[in-house]
Amino acid sequence: MNRENQGYPNFPARPPPPPSSSSSPFASAPPPGVPPQSGGPETVGFRPHTRPFTPSGPPMAPPLGVMRPVQPPLVSQIPGQGSRPPPSTAYGPPGGGSFQRFPTPPPPPSGPPPTQTLAGHFSPPMSLPPQLPMGPPPQSMSSGVPGGYASPPQPGFQQSGPPINPSYPGVGSPQPSFPGYPSKQVLQGPPSSYPPQAGGFAQHPGQQNLHPSYAPPTSNVQGLAEDFNSLSLTNIPGSLEPGLDQASFPRPLDGDVEPNSFAEIYPMNCHSRYLRLTTSAIPSSQSLASRWHLPLGAVVCPLAEAPEGEEVPLIDFGSSGIIRCRRCRTYVNPYVTFTDSGRKWRCNICSMLNDVPGEYFSHLDATGRRMDMDQRPELTKGSVEIIAPTEYMVRPPMPPIYFFLIDVSFSAAKSGMLEVASQTIKSCLDNLPGYPRTQIGFITYDSTLHFYNMKSSLSQPQMMVVSDLDDIFVPLPDDLLVNLSESRNVVEAFLDSLPLMFQNNVNVESAFGPALKAAYMVMNQLGGKLLIIQNSLPSLGAGRLKLRGDDARVYGTDKEYTLRVAEDNFYKQMAADCTKFQIGINVYAFSDKYTDIASLGTLAKYTGGQVYYYPGFKSSIHGDKLRHELARDLTRETAWESVMRIRCGKGIRFSSYHGNFMLRSTDLLALPAVDCDKAYAMQLTLEETLLTTPTVYFQVALLYTASCGERRIRVHTAVAPVVTDLGEMYRQADTGAIVSVYARLAIEKTLSAKLDDARNAIQQKIVKALREYRNLHSVQHRLGSRLIYPESLKFLPLYGLSICKSTPLQGGPADASLDERCAAGFTMMALPVKKLLKLLYPNLFRVDEWLLKPSEHLDDLKDVLRRLPLAAESLDSRGLYIYDDGFRLVLWFGRMLSPDIAKNLLGADFAAELSRVTLQEQENGMSKKLMRLIKKVRENDPSYHPMCFLVRQGEQPREGFLLLRHLIEDQMGGSTSYVDWILQIHRQVQQNG
Amino acid sequence: MAWDLFLWILSFFVSLALVASVFYQVICLTDLEADYLNPFETSSRINRLILPEFILQGSICILFLLTWHWVFFLVALPVTCYHAMLYKERRHLIDVTEVFRGISFEKKLRFTKLGFYIVLFIMVVFRLTLSAVYSFTEDDDLLHLF
Repeated sequence: MNRENQGYPNFPARPPPPPSSSSSPFASAPPPGVPPQSGGPETVGFRPHTRPFTPSGPPMAPPLGVMRPVQPPLVSQIPGQGSRPPPSTAYGPPGGGSFQRFPTPPPPPSGPPPTQTLAGHFSPPMSLPPQLPMGPPPQSMSSGVPGGYASPPQPGFQQSGPPINPSYPGVGSPQPSFPGYPSKQVLQGPPSSYPPQAGGFAQHPGQQNLHPSYAPPTSNVQGLAEDFNSLSLTNIPGSLEPGLDQASFPRPLDGDVEPNSFAEIYPMNCHSRYLRLTTSAIPSSQSLASRWHLPLGAVVCPLAEAPEGEEVPLIDFGSSGIIRCRRCRTYVNPYVTFTDSGRKWRCNICSMLNDVPGEYFSHLDATGRRMDMDQRPELTKGSVEIIAPTEYMVRPPMPPIYFFLIDVSFSAAKSGMLEVASQTIKSCLDNLPGYPRTQIGFITYDSTLHFYNMKSSLSQPQMMVVSDLDDIFVPLPDDLLVNLSESRNVVEAFLDSLPLMFQNNVNVESAFGPALKAAYMVMNQLGGKLLIIQNSLPSLGAGRLKLRGDDARVYGTDKEYTLRVAEDNFYKQMAADCTKFQIGINVYAFSDKYTDIASLGTLAKYTGGQVYYYPGFKSSIHGDKLRHELARDLTRETAWESVMRIRCGKGIRFSSYHGNFMLRSTDLLALPAVDCDKAYAMQLTLEETLLTTPTVYFQVALLYTASCGERRIRVHTAVAPVVTDLGEMYRQADTGAIVSVYARLAIEKTLSAKLDDARNAIQQKIVKALREYRNLHSVQHRLGSRLIYPESLKFLPLYGLSICKSTPLQGGPADASLDERCAAGFTMMALPVKKLLKLLYPNLFRVDEWLLKPSEHLDDLKDVLRRLPLAAESLDSRGLYIYDDGFRLVLWFGRMLSPDIAKNLLGADFAAELSRVTLQEQENGMSKKLMRLIKKVRENDPSYHPMCFLVRQGEQPREGFLLLRHLIEDQMGGSTSYVDWILQIHRQVQQNG
Repeated sequence: MAWDLFLWILSFFVSLALVASVFYQVICLTDLEADYLNPFETSSRINRLILPEFILQGSICILFLLTWHWVFFLVALPVTCYHAMLYKERRHLIDVTEVFRGISFEKKLRFTKLGFYIVLFIMVVFRLTLSAVYSFTEDDDLLHLF
């Protein structure tokens, strides 16, 4: 069996550009004379010819980087690998049998131009001989030519043998034989040649005369015979031999690497920041889907922030109304096709023929394109925003409403929270979205409820106290929620006096439940955003909670999960009621004691909100964080009273949804308030045993009210091919999306099972997936004791380990307080993919060397600072390191760090205990540089404000708590190290393998 | 004899009510799946019925035990135990926020219960006719004797 053919037939390769063009993405317009693609007799998916570029005669001399000449695998590169098959089998002339597996090339360009869009993107290049002789590899190239790989391919070489594997740089290593990385990690290699921070997966060290095999876009890549990556684990499982080189394990040191091959093949898909599929190849049958043990689904972030210049275009269909399919209600998108000279359009999801309204009519040109295509963003862009007419409103669009429910009991004033919060709210009043319609209101409470009349005619707010908690009565219901622009002075006067009013409050009770009910009664006319600022455990009235947390005896029993779910049904019921009336709740919790975040967070979870948790709030320490996060919460662009639905083609269905929202019907997500920091995961099931369409379309539609009062629909459309080959699914897998779904599943599992079970479930899922993959290849390859995995999933085991070590799932009761666990759980349920991956595998980098260098400007952090593996080995006691997970920044001062640096950065108290020191800008270049760096880090991800912690090496227990525990590759307490984890997985993969 | 007839007439109506209640709940859940009802409506409609159903079912079970109808008691017992368990674990009500997650289980559960109740109902009808016939024929016999 010729190995290189195994992934071949199904590979939807990007068509090669015409010889004159460079490697830039081809234009969306089909080149003249493109053969119709869909006519391929037995190709179900998009499987154009993969090796089109090989005219057997004249040399084509492709430009550098477009094609790679065949390079025989470098045998000498991997010494001592007995299991490695000889390269000749990989590159020998393929047997006739294997060659027939190639799809029949499309017919020559004789027919009319293909219909519309699809062909423009998947069409194979022009005239190809149906069968190409596959010449033997040039024997003269069988040994590595040092330096030769970087030079342009020589014409003579091109002639000597047709390039068998033209691979297109930037496509994300589509060619199975050219994974872009060496397919092996040689663990027995001389360890000294591995720089410990090299992140070993990319480079092949050792033989200096060999080309390092990572693939910069224009360099030629070595062909290695195997389709997968592997780790040789030759030692006995469980014991650590010195030969096992940890440095070569794959690590996501470049952050989240998105598979971009499909983004290039389907340029009209929405950007991956909005929609990421766990695999960009949809299985064609239920049996295939059941063999794919990874989750099949998507992660959607409908309002993700677009960088400048890539904003989603806003469209007004005007009098023609929104163009939608009559049957399946799909919105018009780039993948619909127009027929009947423009009078009809065919829905891409249900293939129904719809009439084109007169106002929307446009003639078609000779290729079937609409003439006005360029003026219609909805026909060229995967993401558009449509202005919705009145049919999409059940009531006039609501104004942005911010309602604050503030706990003013004893600790609120004492911790300084009240002052910071009221200052922040006051400073944000100008920036609240939706001026001049914005409305605002306040209720404060301790053992009684305080309402504030803020009518614009007043000069000072009027406070009304209600002490009957059993039967809530709302005085003056019309003047509690007021228009901000009209009552601006009253609101400001209130915010100024709020901290003073309760300065000396000694009341420690908190009538949270009644206050929530009162707020609900005030808000349920219009909905809006409810910000709950809670300082202590709710102790009075409905929804009072008990001190039930952190009872270590419950851990490990079957009752353990009950601690992590809402104790009182009151919370779920309130959350459901709030969702019903379009009230989104964000919870801010500040207590240093147990506050039952599990119950409070339920309110945020089912109303599409989020939980902010500041344990032991002190305004001097956490003030900045609260200020920033509250301000962001108040000022970021928010979509109000929204619902989201994702449609997909016939035969598949989204069956489960994961995130912070409430389902209003089987596939409709109710999101009272949604913004750019929220993402939702969903899983697919196949309803029909066999999918007959070559592609599957997905369309996310978010119907919402913008802050300006316009009703809008945001539509994201994407397409993915249907494949019949499991290997192809693995190749197109997206680790980020998979990890995101896994993390959510694991957190959900902790709500109904023990932590241990949730962790084991993650491990089992990874094992199953890798075992299936191993079975896929164990026939053709002698795998020996290697752990094999697809290139696309090389980080999956590590991220799996990170999930198990993340705050919601880690260890036992001692490792994280119950409140922290739950708060982190609620946060992770809402995080978009990139932020989640950063939280799971945080950045660690060394800064002291960079600080000592003469001043440089700070354009790109990646250029300046290299990420290090998260292991204690990475920490040098002479260095200064920054650990950044998006939520916290930890500055780690090595024990032998030059005192000058510490003195420069910390000023006079550099020798003091670091827990009492806060980082402030000192009057010297080094400190300024560091502060600039920290500012830059914070600006890169504005959704949360990472707090800065300083810790010195050996400062126990802070060091362990702040940093060492989060070095996820190390063994800490009862947790597994990366090596052990890999060994465990490997052992289990081999069982029944 | 009149007491016996009275018992069966009572249990006839009770089991009829149980069948009707569960049937209604199943219909609500099906409507929810078909998007004719929203989760708020569905859960409030179903939750309103759950406690009365539990009480009714429990009391008829006890009634059978007290009147020494072993077979009927044993038929009713599993459902009673299950209800008691649900109530103790506070899982008896439908969770409005997570309706869709548990909908298939809830439906299956209700179909099973419906089966139990229908069996019970048929048995009750059988005994009711039997005891009615007996009571009339006995009366007739008595008349004949006199």
